[in-house]
This record gives sequence, structure tokens and C-alpha cells, in this order.
Amino acid sequence: MTTGGPMATGPMTLPEGTVPPEVLPARRRAPFGRLLRAEVRWIFRRPRTLVVLALLAALPVITGVAVDLSLDGPGASAPVGPGAAGAGGEAPIFVTMATSAFVLPLGSLMTLLMLLLPLTVAMASGDALAGEQSTGALRGWLLAPVARGRLLVVKSVGVLVVALAASTLVVTSGLVTGLVLAGTDGLVSMSGTELSIGGVLWRLAIAIAWATVYLMAVGAVALAISASTEHPMVVVVSVLGGLIVSQVLLQFSALDWLHPYLLPSSLDSLVDLIRDPVSFDGLAEGAFRALCYLVIGLSLAYARLTTRDG
Amino acid sequence: MRPSTKALIAAGTGIAAGIAGLALTALPAGADDDPVLPAIDAEQLVASALEARPPAFAGVAEVQNELGLPSVPGTPIDAELLDFDAVRVFHDGEESARVQVERQSSELTFVKTPDEAWAYDSQENTVQHVTWDEADLAAAREHAGGSAAGEMTNGLADPSQAATEIIERLRPTSDIVVDGTARVAGRAAYELVLTPKPAEKTLLREVTVAIDEETRVPLRFDVFANGSSDPVLSLGFVEFEVGAQDADLFEFTPPEGAEVETTEAGDLAGAAGERAGAESGAEGTEPGTEQGLTTVGDGWDTVVIGAAPADAPGAPAGALPEGSAESGQDLDGLLGQIGEPVSGEFGSGTHVPFAVGGVIIADDGRIAAGAVPQQVLVDALGTE
Repeated sequence: MTTGGPMATGPMTLPEGTVPPEVLPARRRAPFGRLLRAEVRWIFRRPRTLVVLALLAALPVITGVAVDLSLDGPGASAPVGPGAAGAGGEAPIFVTMATSAFVLPLGSLMTLLMLLLPLTVAMASGDALAGEQSTGALRGWLLAPVARGRLLVVKSVGVLVVALAASTLVVTSGLVTGLVLAGTDGLVSMSGTELSIGGVLWRLAIAIAWATVYLMAVGAVALAISASTEHPMVVVVSVLGGLIVSQVLLQFSALDWLHPYLLPSSLDSLVDLIRDPVSFDGLAEGAFRALCYLVIGLSLAYARLTTRDG
Repeated sequence: MRPSTKALIAAGTGIAAGIAGLALTALPAGADDDPVLPAIDAEQLVASALEARPPAFAGVAEVQNELGLPSVPGTPIDAELLDFDAVRVFHDGEESARVQVERQSSELTFVKTPDEAWAYDSQENTVQHVTWDEADLAAAREHAGGSAAGEMTNGLADPSQAATEIIERLRPTSDIVVDGTARVAGRAAYELVLTPKPAEKTLLREVTVAIDEETRVPLRFDVFANGSSDPVLSLGFVEFEVGAQDADLFEFTPPEGAEVETTEAGDLAGAAGERAGAESGAEGTEPGTEQGLTTVGDGWDTVVIGAAPADAPGAPAGALPEGSAESGQDLDGLLGQIGEPVSGEFGSGTHVPFAVGGVIIADDGRIAAGAVPQQVLVDALGTE
């Protein structure tokens, strides 16, 4: 079926009449680069993609300004007031160094990786297959002709671009906000060492790369669901539902044995980038776990896509 | 091949590979066979462990805590003491060491060099800085339990130091044997087992220390209680690599904006006493005699008795300032939930048990803790 695209879809072109089959030279493949460019252009032309990306860029700014105001306000006499540290029991790094150009991007990335970034990726994955199927646009791909394996590759790359763009945007926005609010002060690791700008930048680059791999794992599972349904809403809902359930399960220590199998259990490892020297064990394990999910998701998506009609 | 067969194969292989990979991350490390090592006498092993100077190394230690310590604010019962994910230890083979206690979203960093020590708490953004000169150093070395600075770095966090100290203290009251070998953090190690002598009235069954065959550094420390086969407390390296360390690791400059508190080593004995008290509450092994702490008995059935801080629940209500009276009552309620009332020669109080011992918080404000049954605590309070 993968090489038989034109033959399989040939009969269906007649009622649609978009591309007359006799115009195409037999067995000619659509250029891969052009397909990718077209896919990416489509993604970034959708208003919802742009809206969610704008939201992702705005949130680190809002966090930074809000924390900056609350630190300047009542706690002006004590810049790093013990009261402030005591109030935020769950995220002390946010309180003590929240406006620094180092902690703000990483903290924002960690917070947004809980739900909003996966939501963005799930949305893109939902549109990629289920959305186009529901509007009939997916047929155009098969008419081009594009083998279904390549179709999956193109769609995955589209999702990858969204994941990379979204995490880069969050980190960049956080970095710029931090630089504006605190300048190059407060580039301090959790171990109390001052970091150079270069040291901060490579840590942030690792954070972006890691977040992209993590989001790609979410995207692969979303693509598998996307290949099995016509409703993009189902994709978004099941991915978010799965993440929320996983995060609830992670709260129970009685289910310790299950935790290594849950994708979000490695999210905490991002904190290790704030330590000096950085310990990569947790991050490597998280990336490996994400790759496992990636393999499962993509193989399911491939299986579903190649057996599905029209 | 039919598309459906191909799809089935693709899906099957992908899922199998992915789940196998996930299972790999769930596997506990170090399921290797026990190594075969030349036989060694317990005395020799202990002596060589006590003599050995740690080489330059980097390691990661983890703690497993099943002590079941309830956390009661304002008392030495503080479960948060052991509430961390992992400890990273760096040693340069000489006098300098760096210990990083990693918590969920904060970190405690200790850096010790030949003439000063730093402790940085990222949650509070505070730095403690201790300096000493030659005279201080000599005095500090004679100080029970090591110098105050040593206390900061040697405390519970660094297993190599903790286990060495504990072996030294338990020798008079314990049977010490070498019981087989183990593989810890990928290294061959002897298992040194300390069992309390029959006369000791303790809830502990045994303590095992895995000592590295090559470097004689204690790699793992397990505490077993009566009637359970899993350790109630296990502290040990999961990674241990001998090798020269980056000199930058043993330098510390307080970050800008952090609150720095500088002390001379001599002044710190008091503070260390407080800390030792906190640790002995959790451990029951520290014969703290500083800062209002007294001990009854020795060895395994040591009971540490101290005075509760003024804002603790047991303190007389009249002594409390207006504001804290309410919180004192809340704490009384809390104590009632986690403990049981107990009375004896000393008066009455509340007994809070945990896996390897218990604590009595007496109504007169005294606190007794130890790895012993309730009756021994009661007797200790009565004899003091």
C-alpha cells in the first residue's frame, strides 16, 4: 500500500476532480522538501496555532512581572523575605530567584510543560491527520501522490516543528523578560554558584532540546490517536486526559512501581539544570522514556494509517 | 505481504520495543552477583576503614527512609531531615569536600576546604560561612563528634563519614562480623554487620555497612529493625567513581543577594549541638552531651533527653506568649493523634513511636528519644 498510492486513490479522484490522474506521470513522487514546506506553512497559517503560540510567549512575561511586583511590594525592606519564601512552599526557586534570566525561562518551561505545551502539540497532531480527514484535505495528500509512510513522516515533522517552536518561544520569552527585569544579576544556580551568560545559554539550549523530545513523545501518541479518528477534539481530549491521569497517579507513593512507565514522571528532572554541576542522569532517563513513547506512538500511527481506507 | 499484516508487525514491534524500554528504566540497578573477595577479619576491616583516607571521588547517594517519622514542628522529630531525592558527594582526596543535598526544587550545598566551610540553602537563599585558624582546628578536632564545620559536611549527608563515625561509637556494645560481600554502585564491597549485644534493650536488629574493597570507603549503610527483612533506613551510593575532581568544585563564592552569616569555629559548638540534637532524635545514635542534652545508657539503648523549645507543645501554657497559645493547642491535638499518652515515675507525657524507636514528650517539657521500647524511655526519664 505504501508504494501503491496512485493506484489505490485513483478511483476516488474522479468524483472530486481536483487533479486529473492522467496529468501525473506514472510513479512520480511529490518532492519531499516541498511537502514539508507546505505542511509547515499550513500549520503556521492556522489562527489557533498563532493564538496559542502568542499565549505561550506571553505567560513567562506575565509570571516575571507578577513575581517582580509582589517582591517589590510588601517585601521591599527584605529583598528576599523569609515570608515570601515561606508562602510558596511548593516552588522556592520561583520565589527567591524568580525574576532572574536563568530561573524564569526554566521555571516557565517546567510549568507550561505540565499542560499548555502538550495541549499545543496535541492540537497540532489532531489537525494533522484527524482534522484534515474530517475536511477531506487528507485525500489531497494521497493524490499528490504521497505514500502513507511518507505522509506520516511529513506530519511528524510538522508536529516536531510546532514542539520546537513552542518550547523555544517559551524559553526565549522568559530569558528576555528576565534580562529586562533583572539584567544579568541573579544568574545563580541552586548550588549557589554564579553562572556566566554562556553557562546559562547552554543550559537553556539543553532545556529546549529536552522539552522538544518530551513534546514529540506526546505528539507521537497524539498522532496515533489522530490516525484513528476523524475528530481532532478527541485527540486533544484524550492526550490531556491521559496526562492528567498520569499526573494524578504520580501523586500516590503506593503506585511507585508504575511511575517509571508514566511519561510525566521525568518532568521534575528539568530542575537538575539549575544545579551546578548539572547531573544528567534524570534528564537522560526522561529523554529515553520519551523515546520509548515516541516509538510506541509512531508505530501505532503507522499501522493505523496504512490500513485505513481512503 | 498484505498491508494489514505489515501494519500488525509494525505496531507489534513498536509497542514491544517501547514497553521493553520503559521496563528497562523501571529495573532496579545492581542485580549483579556478589563478588568473591579475599577473606578479612572484622577487626582488620573496621581498622582499615577507620584509617583509610577517602580518595578523590565523585558519587551519588540515595536514601530510603521507612522510619515512619511523624513530623512535629518544634520538636526534634523532624521527618524533613531525610526528605531529599539524592546527595551528590565530591571529594578531592585531601581536606576538601562538596556535598549537595538535592531536594525536589531546592538544594543544600556544603563546601568544605582546609580552612573554611560554606553551607548554602537555596530555599532560604542563605549562606553560612565558618572559618577557623590552626588553633581552632586543633581544638575542634578534639571536640566530640568532630568540629562544627565537620558536622556540617560530615553529618548524615555523606555516607562515608557517617558510617565511619557510627562504627566507632558502636564497637563497645556490638558484635561486629564480616558477613559476605555485596556489589554497591558497581563496586565490590564487604558487608560489615553490627548486631547489638544481647544485653542491649533496642528495637534495632542489625546495622550493615558495605565497605568498598579497594578504597575502604563505606558505600552503603542499612538499618534493620526487629521483625522486618527490608531496611528501615538505607543510605548509600548509587554511583561512585574514583578520580581527580575539578578544583572549582571546592570553591564557593556566596551569590549576590544571599544572606551571609559568618562565624568562627569556636562559636559554632552551640549551633552544632542543636543540630546534633536534631539528628540524634532521628537516629538515636548520637551521644549528644551539648546544649542541655543528656543521655541515659550507652550504645544501642542510648536515650537522649532534652528540653523542648519554648514554643513546643509540651511547654507549660503560662510560659507561652499570647500569640502562640493557639498553635500550642493545635500541636497538642496533633500529638494526641500520632502518639499515645504514657505515664510513669517521671510524670506523664505522650509517646510517639516510629519504626525503630520512639519519643516521649513529657508534660514538663522534657523530650526523650531513642531506638528503644517505650518502657526504656520511661525508665530513662525517671532516672535522670
